[in-house]
Amino acid sequence: MFYQPKNAQFRRVSRRKFMELGGGVATALGAGSVAVGLNSTIFRSSVQAQSSDDAKWKQYDGSKLVFMSENTPPSFAIRDNLQAFYDLTGIEVEILTDDLPVVQQKVGIDLRGGNADFHLNYVQDKPIGSPFADFYADLTKFTGDDTLPQDPEGYGEDAWFENFLTACGVYYEPGRIVAFPYDCAVACTFYRQDLFEELSKDFEAEYGYRMEFTDETTWKHVQDFAAFFKAVRESGRDDIPYGYGQHQGSFAWTTQLDIQRMLFANGQWTEFDVDDKLGSKEPGPTKWGDEQSVLIMQKYKDQADVSHPDNLANGTLELNTVYQAGDIAMQVQYHEFAASIEDESTSRAAGGKTAYAACPKGDPDWIVGDGPAVNGTNCGIGGIGINASASEDLQRAAYIFAQWAVSKETQLGVLKDLGGTPTRKSVFDVPEVAEARKRPTSMPNALTFDAVYDNGIRDPNFVLGPKIPEANEYHNIILTEVQRCVSGENSAEEACEEIRWQVDDLHDI
Amino acid sequence: MASTTADDAGSGRLAGATVTMRSGAKNIAYQPATLNPTPSKRYYLYLMLPAIIILAAISIYPFLWLIYMSLHKVDIGGAGDVWNNFKNWSRLARDSKFQDGWWLLIKYSAMCMLLEVGLGVLLAVILNNSRFEKMLVTIFLMPMMMAPVIAGLVWYYLYNGTFGWYHWLLQSAGILGETSILGDTSTAMIGIVIVDVWQWTPLIILIVLAGLKRVPRDQLEANMVDGAGPFRNFLQISLPNLYPFLLIAILLRFMDNFRFIDAVLVLTGGGPANSTKILPTYLFDVSFQFFKLGRGAAIALTLLVVTIILGLILVRLFDSPAGKAGQTSAEN
Repeated sequence: MFYQPKNAQFRRVSRRKFMELGGGVATALGAGSVAVGLNSTIFRSSVQAQSSDDAKWKQYDGSKLVFMSENTPPSFAIRDNLQAFYDLTGIEVEILTDDLPVVQQKVGIDLRGGNADFHLNYVQDKPIGSPFADFYADLTKFTGDDTLPQDPEGYGEDAWFENFLTACGVYYEPGRIVAFPYDCAVACTFYRQDLFEELSKDFEAEYGYRMEFTDETTWKHVQDFAAFFKAVRESGRDDIPYGYGQHQGSFAWTTQLDIQRMLFANGQWTEFDVDDKLGSKEPGPTKWGDEQSVLIMQKYKDQADVSHPDNLANGTLELNTVYQAGDIAMQVQYHEFAASIEDESTSRAAGGKTAYAACPKGDPDWIVGDGPAVNGTNCGIGGIGINASASEDLQRAAYIFAQWAVSKETQLGVLKDLGGTPTRKSVFDVPEVAEARKRPTSMPNALTFDAVYDNGIRDPNFVLGPKIPEANEYHNIILTEVQRCVSGENSAEEACEEIRWQVDDLHDI
Repeated sequence: MASTTADDAGSGRLAGATVTMRSGAKNIAYQPATLNPTPSKRYYLYLMLPAIIILAAISIYPFLWLIYMSLHKVDIGGAGDVWNNFKNWSRLARDSKFQDGWWLLIKYSAMCMLLEVGLGVLLAVILNNSRFEKMLVTIFLMPMMMAPVIAGLVWYYLYNGTFGWYHWLLQSAGILGETSILGDTSTAMIGIVIVDVWQWTPLIILIVLAGLKRVPRDQLEANMVDGAGPFRNFLQISLPNLYPFLLIAILLRFMDNFRFIDAVLVLTGGGPANSTKILPTYLFDVSFQFFKLGRGAAIALTLLVVTIILGLILVRLFDSPAGKAGQTSAEN
């Protein structure tokens, strides 16, 4: 085929040598393919409904699964404890963890591409669940299957804390469950009790009421507290931190949650006129731009003006670091962070200096119309879901892991080892958990349980939405316009109008 | 021996051939035998075929697919792509983030380019033939060896308002207040430009240093004989000779900046208030956060077209008389 000079000097490759080389390449490629293929293997032994429990657990002995999760305590603790699951089932599970935005991109590509590289996913309610709900297997087909091991406590609404199953598992259509509650991050107030006590008299002299946190503390009070702390600091007392910090930074979802708490607290305002817990694929026109939203946007901006000066740079993690460093006296933060606040090796707010309360309540003066003032509380309920593109057997094997990962025993272990955040109600029945809710405690997250489980997550305080397929773009719009307003680039009216226009355009309205 | 025409002789296939000229005269001339006569065009085609196939697979096919995607509502989940009447394109016209993204990208690229080229040339001139040239060049090159995302993380921590060392330094010097450089809409862009300049000025230094080594000494000496000082010498002799080198440096950096995303994502994610959301960052959001692949494809195509046009302008400048003059003198 190719031109060869007649007297060219080169070594010919003999046919035998060529076959040898070809065989080598083929072997290498084959071995590589097998290695890649083994990433998700499935072996099944036949199991009947009457089979023993051990047989049901072991029916996928020798299989391998991949679970893509956020880098949160439960996943770390479960990864450390995978040997127990392997001993129980013979199933090997690889847990990959990353930051939530990265997890969202990876599982999004995997799910939408129809692949099943990740058989199990971390289904964070709005960033992952809302856009990808259709790509997850309906778990109800497994929960009643006698040939699979089942949790004796079941998986109904009553098995979990109030609203949790709906938050992370139910999207757009009732009855279809795409994830079990795996972990949770519920908002509550962290505040420096030591500083509040120190400055309370001065505050009372100036504002005429006590500086303290109760379930009746409103957002207006928080604004007063923050303004007071700022004034004290600016009067020359460098030892007094700023009062408050908001969730801004670059992760759009947490900024949306931050302003949503204030909006919901004041008249239970929600973004769309739909069932907030179920969500909608066609939510219709948004309520952004109405009088209530403009008023709260202005209040949010006022709050920013008396907050830590680096407010716009601080996302949720950074804000917690600011609090740990002792640079702010209050933050509305997710209760899973309590463990880091109570860690004396990294936190200046540890050692009993921090107290926990419910999210602030709405203020009657801030409510347009006749909606109620509530302790608006939102959350990130992380579920564990199964990729619907995986084969039926892989889904069944994945289900065995999912229901084990959310069992009472596993959650209790996580809570003890790494400060997890339980989702099963029965965990609270354990005496040592009940004891841990008071200081001194070996489970610092338990210090938040009164504020979170007894107050925040309960109706009428709990707000979930908006569950819409375009959730991530929606969050991004909110982040941009809220930051423009907070930085003084736009007025509250302009910001809300801009949000309204963009969100309606997003939904072709 | 064989008899042939003058046309064949040129091919050099025959050794010591008797050549018949068109006039009819015969001329016996010695021509050395060659082992590697010029192969046919088909031979070259065969050689290039694997590369052409690979190029088509990894470049041309995705390019055509990108055009297709930009005209459809794309669903990689298998629901099928739907023709959407140029909606992806018409939306760009009213998409303020897209327009702002372009403006910020131009601003960002221009700032980076000016600072990097200015500093790069200055440092290269200082380093050229200096006593510690090799050591200093090695030190200067270190940031370039770092993955951009790592550079972003390093600077993210240095800038951090709570524990960042640079923040503390700038605050102590009274340059910054308590707001960090990335937390203010008016300074965040400067923050990411500094990171780019820190990381990529060494590339300009390297290229310019290579150019300076090739400036003809006779020209420099002649100019000095004519009374030129070092500065005039640089302006009159070195700089014109550096022209092609600078064009290459600008072309490389400009194309890099137009696809730059790593450090911005780590440092600010495009914020605060979209003040650093340069177009590639917005493109990333649209495609991989919102999964609007059709709209993302339309944005990517605009980016591609502008990059190609600006690239062509730079290449044309490179081929211009001034560029060629620089190349020629450098070759001399």
